[in-house]
Amino acid sequence: MLVVSFPHLLLFLFSWTWGILATTPSHEEIVGEFFNQNAHAGSSTSNHTNNWAVLVCSSRYWFNYRHMANALGMYRTVKRLGIPDSNIILMLADDAACNSRNRFPGSVYANPGRGLDLYGDNIEVDYRGYEVTVENFIRVLTGRMEPSVPRSKRLLTDARSNIFVYMTGHGGNEFLKFQDNEEISAFDIADAFEQMWQKKRYNEILFMIDTCQANTMYSKFYSPNILATGSAKLDQNSYSYENDNDIGVSVIDRFTHYILEYMEQINKTSHESMADLFASYDPAKIHSDPGVRADLFGRPLNEVRITDFFGGVSQVEVGNGGDGEARASPSGTTEEENSSSEERPAVAVNASQAQQKVAPPSRPAKWRMTRAWGGVLLLGVLVGWVGFKR
Amino acid sequence: MNALRARLRAQRADPNIVRIHRKQALVAVLTRRLHIIKITLFLVGYLWMAAIPSPRLGRGTYIDENALGPGQVNTYWNWGDVANADRYLEQLEGLRDNNATSEERADFLMTEFLKLGIPASTQNYVFTSSAGNVQGTNAYAVLSSPRTSGTEAMVISASWISRTGEGDGTLNLRGVSTVLALANFLKKYSLWAKDLVFVISDNYVDGMQAWLSAYHGAIQSNLQADELELASGVIWTALNIDYPGHSFSHLGIFHEGINGRLPNQDLLNSFQQISKWTGGVPVLVYDHQDSPQTDIPSWIPSAYHEEIRAYAYQSKNVLRHLGYQARGRGSGVHGLFHQFRIDAFTMFGLPATGPHGFHAIGRIVESTLRTTNNLLERLHASFFFYILTTPERFLKIGSFLPSAVLISVAMMFGGLRIWSDCAWIPDLSDKKEAGPDKWIQRSRPVIPVLGIMLSTYMLGVVLFSAITTSWFINNQTVASTLLLIVVSTIPLCALLIPSQDASRAAPISQLLKALNLCFASTVISIITVVNFSLAMSLAILLGIPLSISSPSKTLSLRLAKFAPYIGLALGWICASDELRKALWDWEILGVWFAPFVCIVYTPLVLQAGLVCLLPL
Repeated sequence: MLVVSFPHLLLFLFSWTWGILATTPSHEEIVGEFFNQNAHAGSSTSNHTNNWAVLVCSSRYWFNYRHMANALGMYRTVKRLGIPDSNIILMLADDAACNSRNRFPGSVYANPGRGLDLYGDNIEVDYRGYEVTVENFIRVLTGRMEPSVPRSKRLLTDARSNIFVYMTGHGGNEFLKFQDNEEISAFDIADAFEQMWQKKRYNEILFMIDTCQANTMYSKFYSPNILATGSAKLDQNSYSYENDNDIGVSVIDRFTHYILEYMEQINKTSHESMADLFASYDPAKIHSDPGVRADLFGRPLNEVRITDFFGGVSQVEVGNGGDGEARASPSGTTEEENSSSEERPAVAVNASQAQQKVAPPSRPAKWRMTRAWGGVLLLGVLVGWVGFKR
Repeated sequence: MNALRARLRAQRADPNIVRIHRKQALVAVLTRRLHIIKITLFLVGYLWMAAIPSPRLGRGTYIDENALGPGQVNTYWNWGDVANADRYLEQLEGLRDNNATSEERADFLMTEFLKLGIPASTQNYVFTSSAGNVQGTNAYAVLSSPRTSGTEAMVISASWISRTGEGDGTLNLRGVSTVLALANFLKKYSLWAKDLVFVISDNYVDGMQAWLSAYHGAIQSNLQADELELASGVIWTALNIDYPGHSFSHLGIFHEGINGRLPNQDLLNSFQQISKWTGGVPVLVYDHQDSPQTDIPSWIPSAYHEEIRAYAYQSKNVLRHLGYQARGRGSGVHGLFHQFRIDAFTMFGLPATGPHGFHAIGRIVESTLRTTNNLLERLHASFFFYILTTPERFLKIGSFLPSAVLISVAMMFGGLRIWSDCAWIPDLSDKKEAGPDKWIQRSRPVIPVLGIMLSTYMLGVVLFSAITTSWFINNQTVASTLLLIVVSTIPLCALLIPSQDASRAAPISQLLKALNLCFASTVISIITVVNFSLAMSLAILLGIPLSISSPSKTLSLRLAKFAPYIGLALGWICASDELRKALWDWEILGVWFAPFVCIVYTPLVLQAGLVCLLPL
């Protein structure tokens, strides 16, 4: 009887083991594979989970129309690439659209011929006119706000935020004028960024500035993960591009014009890297020497997608079910920054999780492996036991 | 050995003593060569003045104010607007042919503005002066800024009488019709950030003086003018259009204001650029052209011909500028604006058979208004002190001011030298020990000298009050002869002053000359900043004559020396036309030139004459 039943038992055990070993790959692997099938060498290695933009036009007055247009051009681009208004802090020192000298009331154009109204239907200016001050700008960056300041005027970033900071106005060696009244120095911005780093307010920053001698403005940065670019080197002016003969003033600056022109070919799924953008700079066209500073930045530029800064991420990290809490929130739903110091280790865990997500085998897969090997071991034991019995 | 060491120590010891020695040595060197220094200063000063028109001095004009952005707009003034201007012109010619009175003209203009839907009004005024009353009626209209509060305003004006021949009666009909057609045209824009005020002032300059005084609430005792019914904001800029001929070939810039004030150069430069690039009309300074066929002697190398031609042309411009500015006479209606800190100039259509007309001037004014409309604050960036040598070249204050200052310094050195010489006299009492080093001190009686100077100024005041009476204006030939005789005989009283003992007190003539030179030098230095042209004229008229005045022994020589000074001091009384104009300017417009000449210039020259009359 035993002899008859033994082959059956063997068959059963074998098929059971086979079944376990031959289990199909996990659901997550399938999804991961699906999303990675288009990946190529330039794929993003960023691990941010939300995107923010701070766009500043620091000069007022009608003849500085072009600075308003610069900032609004950037606003249009980041919005088109997916950063929502709630994540954009737009500071415009003057209201060119409603200036009484504007022949086209309510509109701001960045090109002669007036093809595209940058002031269009859906503009959310967070700081306007006399609110655009050095103090407010630094408060926005560092998050040191009065409790009464509404959320829409705050930069509610966290340690997983990528921030795009764009500034334009009249400046000089290591300063940028605000409102023809006060100025921010390169040191002020560098210190504000360091404060942000210490308060875990960013993952990475792209700092872009279009003003005379712009490259001096990022020369004082010392905090990690900052990529900076400027329109002109020391002792160089940054020039306007074109003027519209009906508006009667220059409508955009050269550096910003060529960046926006490049950005027009970028969409939300583009894989162009920041290296590609920087390679598109042509000093002959811009009439000044644009600069890039990447020594503080952790990643190689050809692995940094333009959409890492200009786009809104749809990257969501699935947290460990055991904690019962999502570590990183999707963009726009971050908590207000708190000053607790225990957040940094948590972030470190997050970071390692993020890497595990990409690199197999994950923990459930390991469990399956153990189960499979356990089955084989059991089979061996059974076979040995049966043989020994005989 | 010890002595040598002591000497070395002494030399090294006290740096203060070394410094004092060095200073003394320097002063000694300077005083010994003072005569040469003085002559050098005079020479350099006068040569510098002669070099002002040189094309090598000066630089190209440029726009300094970022906000202006001249010539960057499309203009929409078109042939339809030209036709409007022509229609207005026909009506104005009708008024001219009917010999319409000031009131009728002003009423017509007001009605035309009202027809366009622009609030308009008129203003009657009467000036009383020793030469008789001046009266007229201004018309004006205020186009409120469509989208702002209208706290600022720009003026577009035309006077009824053109500036041709300083207001010789040529009518500015085309200028007036340009303003009317512009009002019709500019009303269609909604982009004016400032109110537009259209003013058609009566006569040549007095109408605008009355209007501006009323607008700013300035009180003038001899003016009775209606209050303005329409108000606007602070006026920043004013464009005065003067277009007397049928057509024009060039637009001339007239910019001198009364009392030597100039408008900010940015305004002129913007206009120059707009006229050249937008309107295609060449610009001149004043109303004379550069004549290329100047005769240059053939022995001069041809390489210099261009420069000589440029010098000749620019010196014409500089001389006109000097003429307007030194006399404090504005070169047009715009000159009245400057006293209220309004930047203004006149664009003068140089009468010619062609090729430009309403079409060009309309576009240029439109574009210039767009430029001044862009201003966010008063013009302040560019220059207020300059000499335009051509429309595109100018001299900064630093390139011309030192010339007059050098002359004034030379005069001051001369005066101080005489002053210090007066205190000392060589000791001749002890013949044996007499040497160049032996001097005795003497007193310097300043009070009588100041008394003499004061009396010359009193004489100047009396002279001025005499020439401002209506009796003088009405009997000018008789009165001026009488005044000339009286004023030139009064100083002869100085002949009665006895000679003094020169060993105890310095002679009055020397002291008077010292103070006269010092005072004249101070006056010139101060005036250089206020009105360079006047200072330069003073430096030329006073510099050498005051320095060479000297007393003499014989009576005939004294009188002979005195005579030229009288001519220099009072010669202007004989220029009856000039005098009448200067007095009219003073009474109606408040130009300081006439009182300045009577109360400052003439007394200074009379003092120099007295130096010649006084005993040695």
